[in-house]
Amino acid sequence: MVVLREGMCPGLDEGLVRDLRAADIKTVEDLVSSDIEELAQKCSVSYKALFAIRRVLLAQHTAFPVSGADLYEELLSSTAILSTGNPSLDKLLDSGLYTGEITELSGGPGSGKSQVCFGVAVHISYQLKQSVIYIDTTGGLTARRLLQMLQTETSNTEEQMEALQRIHIFRLFDIFSLLDCLYSLCSGGLQQASVGGGSAKAVIVDSVSAVISPLLGSKQNEGMSLMIQVAGILKTLAKDFNAAVLVTNHVTRSGSGEVQPGLGVSWSHIPRTRVLLERAEKATAVSRSSVRSATLIKSSRQPCHIKEEFDLQWWSRSQVEPSGKRKLDETDS
Amino acid sequence: MQRAVSSLSFSPSVKVKLVSAGFQFTSDLLHLEPLQLSKEAGLSQQEALEVLQTVTRAGEGVSASLTALELLQKEEETRSIVTFSSQLDAALGGGFPIGKITEICGVPGVGKTQLCLQLAVDVQVPQCFGGVGGQVMYIDTEGSFLLERVIDMATAAVRHCSLLVEDDEQRVAMTTFTVETILSDIFLVRCNDYMELLAELHLLPDFLLNHPRVRLLVIDSVAFPFRQFDDLSQRTRLLQGLAQQLVAMAYRHHVAVVITNHMTTRLQGSQSQLVPALGENWGHAPTTRLLLQWAGSQRLAAILKSPGHVDTTIQYQISSDGFRDADQSELPQNKRPRTHANQSAASQPDS
Ligand SMILES: Nc1ncnc2c1ncn2[C@@H]1O[C@H](COP(=O)(O)OP(=O)(O)OP(=O)(O)O)[C@@H](O)[C@H]1O
Ligand SMILES: [Mg+2]
Repeated sequence: MVVLREGMCPGLDEGLVRDLRAADIKTVEDLVSSDIEELAQKCSVSYKALFAIRRVLLAQHTAFPVSGADLYEELLSSTAILSTGNPSLDKLLDSGLYTGEITELSGGPGSGKSQVCFGVAVHISYQLKQSVIYIDTTGGLTARRLLQMLQTETSNTEEQMEALQRIHIFRLFDIFSLLDCLYSLCSGGLQQASVGGGSAKAVIVDSVSAVISPLLGSKQNEGMSLMIQVAGILKTLAKDFNAAVLVTNHVTRSGSGEVQPGLGVSWSHIPRTRVLLERAEKATAVSRSSVRSATLIKSSRQPCHIKEEFDLQWWSRSQVEPSGKRKLDETDS
Repeated sequence: MQRAVSSLSFSPSVKVKLVSAGFQFTSDLLHLEPLQLSKEAGLSQQEALEVLQTVTRAGEGVSASLTALELLQKEEETRSIVTFSSQLDAALGGGFPIGKITEICGVPGVGKTQLCLQLAVDVQVPQCFGGVGGQVMYIDTEGSFLLERVIDMATAAVRHCSLLVEDDEQRVAMTTFTVETILSDIFLVRCNDYMELLAELHLLPDFLLNHPRVRLLVIDSVAFPFRQFDDLSQRTRLLQGLAQQLVAMAYRHHVAVVITNHMTTRLQGSQSQLVPALGENWGHAPTTRLLLQWAGSQRLAAILKSPGHVDTTIQYQISSDGFRDADQSELPQNKRPRTHANQSAASQPDS
């Protein structure tokens, strides 16, 4: 029995928890086995929001008794939405990363792609208790920063260590090693990497362009064919293993200074959702603010070109925050 | 899932032969003998053997992975190269990280080479003094390696450490930390153009295998050999390949890679801006990017990109002893906390 608490998953705030209580929905099981449509009316929230909450809870607590109808529905849609842990990005992505899909972050140097990847890895590992595969092709991953981000989620060292243990890191610096790794993940490695059944829910590749772009544009068209293979296997991982795949890409700049994701047209069809990250202010070279803007440039759910700002310091914020959830955690321990 | 033969790292000619002999997927090759394959695909026996070995290796499952917890433990065990500027160390989160690439960019004369020379000495500070006691591979592409400066800096470093000696271990360490040993533990290579640089980098992994004490690789600079290039897209591609080589080398051989880069003006609309050279994509290569710049008569070092720390700016000076913290007493407002003074200085527009 797990009692519903605010902050357990995105969208589950104080007010909603109260309303759910009033409707006699006190535990995760209650919520999971209730009629969402009816409940949405009772609590005056949108069906979509409640449905998203239930999906995330289902992903978090897969071992709970669910009705056959629910299972069937899960099977049909079989999509879970994994929150990125950052409210602005979740808003942009319509609640988070969708399993079964490839999401891309592109941006120039220092635009915050790796920071977002770190944050996502930490959030999925800690909040959703799911394994994460993190493929680092640029040597940019530092575990210290992961730990720092975890410390904003919990002050319990044991929980921090457990979360770090659920993040599996591969460091591969060329496309052939990347392909080797992706193929072996497909043939069972994804399950091996997870603890306690199920398979890893998220695969992060930071960055794909670092290993692909050295091969593109040369006379032999090998680069292009290898890129298509990487794309194909990432799609398979997403679809067949129902994992959320997150990749990063560099950008190219046109003469007029307009920024576009790299790797060209063939690659542009691969990610279902594309987000462009940029430093928020004009002077890019010597500015030191940690505010970034994220623009949605491809999506099947939201209007494109919506823009959100977020602060990289979000993942360094101190743990004592005027939020009820933090207080709850503290009294728990 | 079937894996296409073309996704393995064979030479293009081998791939063509395999595919035209009907070997599309790795599963088609699994139960073959080298001799058989060599006959059927028209490969030499050696080629056939290599093909089969690669296929077996690729099928053997997940390459070495480690958990973030294990990585954290490794990071805690790995020391960074500390400099004689504690503020720079702090801004970098404890010094120049081993296993990563750090780029120093700035206009001519601002102190990039000085910092490289300083690091060539710093990396050799014995472990009992908090150093890493390593050797250095120094690739000079501009002819700016100045032996006299290294001797000055080495002398200062030896003097500094000898004043710190407290126990026997440190006393013993000092016998092998002299100006002579410092000079003999610097391996210097001059490269005159980008071909020489690429060739050198190609040979470097073997050199590093045979010299396991090397903890620092300096390339001063990457920009110079690549400055004149007609085919810009080829340059980008070469640089991108070079970047991946450096990343792999830093990680596998446990060295800090420190490279320098020039500045160039970028026009954006009507505004022109001084930005690091070699194109925007090169900017992804270094893990950390450090900009050395003048602000009036002050020298500032700004972190432009770092994987784990807020970007900061610090002040430094270059004395006859080398790269040092700016002397506090010379600051007009030395009572104010350092960072505040620096931030206001840094936010003034560059002229
Ligand atoms: N602890 C921190 N607190 C606040 N901001 C930080 C912190 N660590 C890093 N940053 C910010 O994040 C920036 C680096 O972002 P990141 O490493 O994600 O870039 P990136 O998009 O991955 O770049 P690249 O393509 O070069 O790898 C730093 O320059 C800094 O501004
Ligand atoms: Mg990065």
